[in-house]
Amino acid sequence: MKEMSSALLIGKNGTGKSTIATALEVFQSIGRGINRVGQLVKSKDFTRGRYDVPIRLEIEVLLDEKLYKYILALELPEKFKELRVFEEQLLVAGNPIYSRKEAQVTLYSSSQNRESQFLVDWHLVALPVIQEQSETDPLHTFKNWLAHIIILAPIPALMTGDSHGETLQPNRDGANIGEWFSGLLGRYPAAYRDVDKYLREVMPDFQDFLNELIGKEFKSLIVRFSENNATLNVNFQDLSDGEKCFFLCAVVLAANKFYGSVFCFWDEPDNYLSISEVGHFITSLRRSFKDSGQILVTSHNPEAIRKFSNENTFILDRKSHLEPTLMRLLSDIPVTGDLINSLICGDIEL
Amino acid sequence: MSINKNKPHLLILPEDDANRQIINGFIQNLNVNNRAIQILPIADGWKKAVDKFTNDHIKTMRQYPQRNILLIIDFDECEDRLNFVENYIPDDIKNRVFVLGVQSNPESLKRDIQKNFETIGESLATDCAENNHKLWEHRLLIHNKPELERMVLSVKPFLFPN
Repeated sequence: MKEMSSALLIGKNGTGKSTIATALEVFQSIGRGINRVGQLVKSKDFTRGRYDVPIRLEIEVLLDEKLYKYILALELPEKFKELRVFEEQLLVAGNPIYSRKEAQVTLYSSSQNRESQFLVDWHLVALPVIQEQSETDPLHTFKNWLAHIIILAPIPALMTGDSHGETLQPNRDGANIGEWFSGLLGRYPAAYRDVDKYLREVMPDFQDFLNELIGKEFKSLIVRFSENNATLNVNFQDLSDGEKCFFLCAVVLAANKFYGSVFCFWDEPDNYLSISEVGHFITSLRRSFKDSGQILVTSHNPEAIRKFSNENTFILDRKSHLEPTLMRLLSDIPVTGDLINSLICGDIEL
Repeated sequence: MSINKNKPHLLILPEDDANRQIINGFIQNLNVNNRAIQILPIADGWKKAVDKFTNDHIKTMRQYPQRNILLIIDFDECEDRLNFVENYIPDDIKNRVFVLGVQSNPESLKRDIQKNFETIGESLATDCAENNHKLWEHRLLIHNKPELERMVLSVKPFLFPN
């Protein structure tokens, strides 16, 4: 998946598509500075209660044409109430930046071929606490990338457009879209142009939006529409669910352009959209990530599925809840005829 | 917004899944006005594509004069297939109906040039945007030239607005 700008995950309910988002959220949280193991993973997360097998999370990312590999293994020894770090390592292009066994961390410095060792509480992930030397330090690059991971499974009813501050880090449910809007436009004012361009494409009568100050440090988004010299102001929270998703999409597109290389996981982006819009929505996302960043989406919607091809569609399947999920590229599976028909008939199995 | 029926737009009716994937690649090209294109579900065979066109689209083509439609079919090395399909296109909308396809089938083209379908589609769009017809002149695609020339005149202006 590393070299795909966009990819789709499909599979029956319960095959683990959204669980991938949950696993990615652990990495995102680490990037955002949460390092207490108990806040990242709970004992219930062990597969079938097998506490004697460590939970191992690994991610490989291509950033600036260098392969970053981060490994975090967690365990729950007997008589422990909280998981602890069993192993942790960050490698860049095969070279270790640091490695760790339980509390013992070894930091490598390539320039002087030096090693330094120190101890970190084994209930804390080391990555957020290791001081980065500069903005070009691989530690900074990787942590920044993790922090900027966008994971979305929006719930429009929670998206009110109200904000108490600014952020560059959206919540999974999209509830802080007001803060994200403010944060993005505050940090990158030129992003307004991109947001505006997209919104005019999807809503031709869109005029502009205001982030009106309602109280001390409290703002509320108001969207203005106009046609034939008449205007209409609509509170963001009163927009339709689909229209709220247009706004979310506009911010995702702008964020990918202005943050730099962003990874986005959007769980069922076709939700709440009209059937005539789904294809355009997915295509806009795919096109936006074509030259920079990466987007991974899940879907059960035929229109969304059709906007991907066999080389960027992954099938997830498992025989039962007791067996692990299998995942294969659609181009590696013999599917004859229409993919949608095969999915409807439940014919695709791994 | 979905396609604006009152502005020039193009419906694309692919015969099969391989052609659908080629179109997916085509619309990835940033020069293509994706908002002027609506891709229809696959017809599952070139004859069914013709049936779908005659049953579902002739009436609405007359209703919406800005509507154009492109049928993407496999020619299966049949030289008279285009003529056969053209017989089903009413004269009054002939200038808005186009038929393109691989001379044999997309799988042969894929094998021949060692690219996946999306990459083929992207290359075809790049050729259109850059006014060079490198891939369009491939032996399995060159027969499309007359249809392509018609499309350059009527469809390209809104499909590649810049």
